[in-house]
Amino acid sequence: MRVKYLFLIFIFISAAFMPQAQAFDFGEALKDVIKETTQGATSSTNATGSESEKAFNWKSPSPQEEIQIGREITGNLLGAAPLVKDAALQKYVNQVGRWVANQSERSDLPWHFGVIESEDINAFAAPGGYVIITKGLYRKLENEAQLAGVLSHEIAHVVRGHHLKILQKSQLLDLGADLLSKQIGRDSQVIQKVIGSGAEICARSLDKSAEFEADRMGVTLTTRAGYEPYGLPEVLQAIGQTAKDESTIALLFKTHPHPDDRLLKLDEAIGSRLDNIKNAKTLKTRFYKLKN
Amino acid sequence: MKKYKILLLILTVILFLPLVSPAAEKGSALKADVIRKEPYSDAKKTGGITRGEQLQIIGKKGAWLNVKTAKASGWVRLLSVKRGTSSGSNQIKGVLDAASGRAGTGKVVATTGVRGLNEEELKNAKYNEAEVKKLESFTITSQQAQQFAKSGGLKAIKFDYLSEL
Repeated sequence: MRVKYLFLIFIFISAAFMPQAQAFDFGEALKDVIKETTQGATSSTNATGSESEKAFNWKSPSPQEEIQIGREITGNLLGAAPLVKDAALQKYVNQVGRWVANQSERSDLPWHFGVIESEDINAFAAPGGYVIITKGLYRKLENEAQLAGVLSHEIAHVVRGHHLKILQKSQLLDLGADLLSKQIGRDSQVIQKVIGSGAEICARSLDKSAEFEADRMGVTLTTRAGYEPYGLPEVLQAIGQTAKDESTIALLFKTHPHPDDRLLKLDEAIGSRLDNIKNAKTLKTRFYKLKN
Repeated sequence: MKKYKILLLILTVILFLPLVSPAAEKGSALKADVIRKEPYSDAKKTGGITRGEQLQIIGKKGAWLNVKTAKASGWVRLLSVKRGTSSGSNQIKGVLDAASGRAGTGKVVATTGVRGLNEEELKNAKYNEAEVKKLESFTITSQQAQQFAKSGGLKAIKFDYLSEL
């Protein structure tokens, strides 16, 4: 135990003298140390009480913890724009989305899909299987394969834990001290502290490589689900036609590589791999049309 | 009489304008590629496109677009083409946005009643438990999704993840 305390003291001292610019990289290394020490600490308190139950495992959260984080983020997003009041529409996107999610390695998650009341063109994913698309984006879609394509891109973000990784990177600097003093609990206030103000995480950009990966995975999942594989590329083509200065697309363009670049990257990855896909469906007739 | 002729000409143009424009969608080549006689990768080559070249999109079949350039026509891979011209009517929309206060970076003065989702609005969003509960009420199970797929004639296939080149 004494060695551990010495280690903690060392961490605090080095953290105190650490220049800001280096804080981030150092944080990664620091995280592992903290994980180890807190694990050691909780296992030692295991005998005396249920304190260990409280430590939120940020390094590799359980599905329940992921869902908790995602639920909080989604709740904030829905605070900015509520669900479209059309139960048939919401049911439909859940049917399409869940079927596509079934084709991923996270079919165990309780996936939730929703269309929100906003004319912006955008879609969002939060950890634990929460996927939201705007009414403005839904309007751009022409068939079920395209909807599947859009949802599959977001599903891929969840499967690969792209947003979770962003939170993990930033949480240590905010909560390192709390972690060490074992103050971190399961309550939503702590999660709120990590996810930041409101739904700002939804306005943050991921790495370009994460977006390209989600596009490739999206096309894959759409194909696996039996849909026309080009659902997502078609939507990207449609979005690419929207002028950059149009306010409804400003955030999407700011947080994503340009659709032209995404199409070129997809083209490289696809090559002739989709040439032999047979009996794929667009299901244009079944596509749910918005009431207004 | 001359006035009537001009008026007639204008009316004729207006009448036919919407009929002419959607017939062939405009596009441009995202990269150099081969134009083929049929929508298959081993079909006979009928020409080519160079990056940025303007073309007309006549039809679509799976992964292929039927296009027409100044020199050739035939089928080209969908991903080699950018649809539409990114200016045009959208510029008018931009002006309208500016007029309603929706343009610019994050400043919202609009009174249009249409909710936007810019950074500021997302940041200031307040948690809404009732809406989350509502969202969760629409959740379906994996089995229900399978039923839905079956009713649409969708069949899951095995397909490996596309990898980065």
